Amino acid sequence: MHEVAIFFLHGLVYAGLLFLVSAGLTLIFGMMNVLNFAHAAMYMLGAYFSYSVMLHFSGQLWLSILICPLILLVIGALIERFLLRPVHKLGHVHELLMTFGLAYIVTELVQWYWGNYPLAVNVSGFLNSTVRIIGITYPVYRIFIFFCAVFVGVAMALILYKTRLGIIIRATVNDSEMVSSLGINVPLVFTGVFAVGTALSGFAGVIAGPLLSVFPGMANEILIDAFVVIVVGGFGSLGGAVLASLIIGQLQSFGVLLIPQLSMVLVYLLMVSILIVKPSGLFGEEPL
Amino acid sequence: MRQKNISYAVIGVLLLAGALMPLVLKQYHLYMMTEIVIFSLFAVSYNLLLGYAGLLSFGHALFFGLSGFATALAIIHIPGLTILNTVLIGLVPSIVAGVVIGGLLLRHKGSYFALLTLAFSALFYAIAIKWYAVTGGDNGLNFTRPDLNLGIFTVSMASLAHFYYLVLIVVGAAIVFCWYFTHTAMGKTIVLMRENEERMQFLGYNTNAARLVLFIFTGALAGLAGSFYVLHFEFVSHKAVSLDMTTVVLLMTFVGGTKKFWGPILGVFIYIIFQNYLSEITDHWALFMGIIFILMVLFVPGGLSEFLLKVQRRLFGKQVRNGGEYAVPEEGRS
Repeated sequence: MHEVAIFFLHGLVYAGLLFLVSAGLTLIFGMMNVLNFAHAAMYMLGAYFSYSVMLHFSGQLWLSILICPLILLVIGALIERFLLRPVHKLGHVHELLMTFGLAYIVTELVQWYWGNYPLAVNVSGFLNSTVRIIGITYPVYRIFIFFCAVFVGVAMALILYKTRLGIIIRATVNDSEMVSSLGINVPLVFTGVFAVGTALSGFAGVIAGPLLSVFPGMANEILIDAFVVIVVGGFGSLGGAVLASLIIGQLQSFGVLLIPQLSMVLVYLLMVSILIVKPSGLFGEEPL
Repeated sequence: MRQKNISYAVIGVLLLAGALMPLVLKQYHLYMMTEIVIFSLFAVSYNLLLGYAGLLSFGHALFFGLSGFATALAIIHIPGLTILNTVLIGLVPSIVAGVVIGGLLLRHKGSYFALLTLAFSALFYAIAIKWYAVTGGDNGLNFTRPDLNLGIFTVSMASLAHFYYLVLIVVGAAIVFCWYFTHTAMGKTIVLMRENEERMQFLGYNTNAARLVLFIFTGALAGLAGSFYVLHFEFVSHKAVSLDMTTVVLLMTFVGGTKKFWGPILGVFIYIIFQNYLSEITDHWALFMGIIFILMVLFVPGGLSEFLLKVQRRLFGKQVRNGGEYAVPEEGRS
């Protein structure tokens, strides 16, 4: 019973991380129709930046949380403006290749600068303690991750569904040409969403560092899962991303508990069966 | 027609030059040359998807590795097989996977297609790593190349030159067949589907069937390349099915250019020679490859083959009717 509860919570925590990464990914995909391969690389960059910041400022996690997403916000905006926009006219394949090349370079750079081995990030103080909930002892830090994700999710939902900016973004996801002809600066919206998505991914990296440690393979590990999330949830759907993150978080967690050999395979089986039943994903619209 | 004859002449000269290689090259370079021929088939089959059909696949290594594993397992578990039989056995799972995965992905194009092929590739990668008892996990599988049995006599495959000739004949024939394929009605249908699929449907073509056939065909070709790759190195591991392997073929194809049939072959030459050279002078060769790749996406989006054609046009001022923009195999272009 205790085991089930622990693995359920583990699943929730992983779902939180997964949501932070895939929320930006699914919005970028819905808008620009670009599968952003560099997205998980930005998650990894966030984690490594955070490692360096905490090394210099004696383990202040809150400082990392403030600084690193801002750095990535700038990096994201620069990437969109100077690398993606010039190839936009060449078609989706070239944009995709560009993000792919970026992911490749970031991985190599990270290995060059920080080395190939895993680095541990330690948090101190209250976050490093444990707490008793529903009859089990559970680390505060994992709960902190989950609430970060909930906080970001709620904030995103409020912005997307309650503000004018949100209307513009949702309309752009639906039909960017139409929005453009209504006099809205769509390239600016693209840059903004890309930058914020990148920053969110970096934020996920920052808070994932102390939990999973920081290593060059972390990008690919979460990238595939995040892709599965947006396939299962439906391309461009935030609600779908929430639900799919929760499902895949639990699947990964209980997969490890029940059939450790096949935990990875389970996720793909889910994806394939969704594809057969509803190719556009749980909340996706049928592609034209 | 005159231009078609030139194409045949070029193919003939290339094959002859390939046949003379073992007499000229040292052992180390012959080793590299074998790799180049094998990867040429891999890249050409990839370009049939990317350049001709406009489908960006991230799962091409799946077929490559699947056949590679099947070949290695056949050699290890079934004694007495000759080399060609192992290659044939290797093809079977690739064709089956092509039918199943192709069937599931029929309706998807563009980024969806890229994403879904990536997921299937990741599935096979997970199996290759986790199913230790069969695939050897991280350690991979080692074996010795079996000999070639031609009925009356056997040719020892322990010699690199002998193996090179076998590769040149079988893989070379497959590459020539790909070239022939692009000139058939089927090959042209695929190019036209890329340009305007709806119109092809109105004209009465079953575009889904054509895409499925193409997917299975290119998968089988990648599988053939994978089998020979594994036979060449006498080793297979999960790296053969990994995303890295797809990255390699994508880089090769893109560097060479997707708009000409010979682009990917040029790309393979440059990639492998360049990689060998770079890896001698720096440990971070992959980083430089990545940077070169990004710069090419930005400034030479058509790849080297298009760049060369542009230079040629500038120098000789010959007008090409459609500006050489597409890989449309007009009569006589190769």
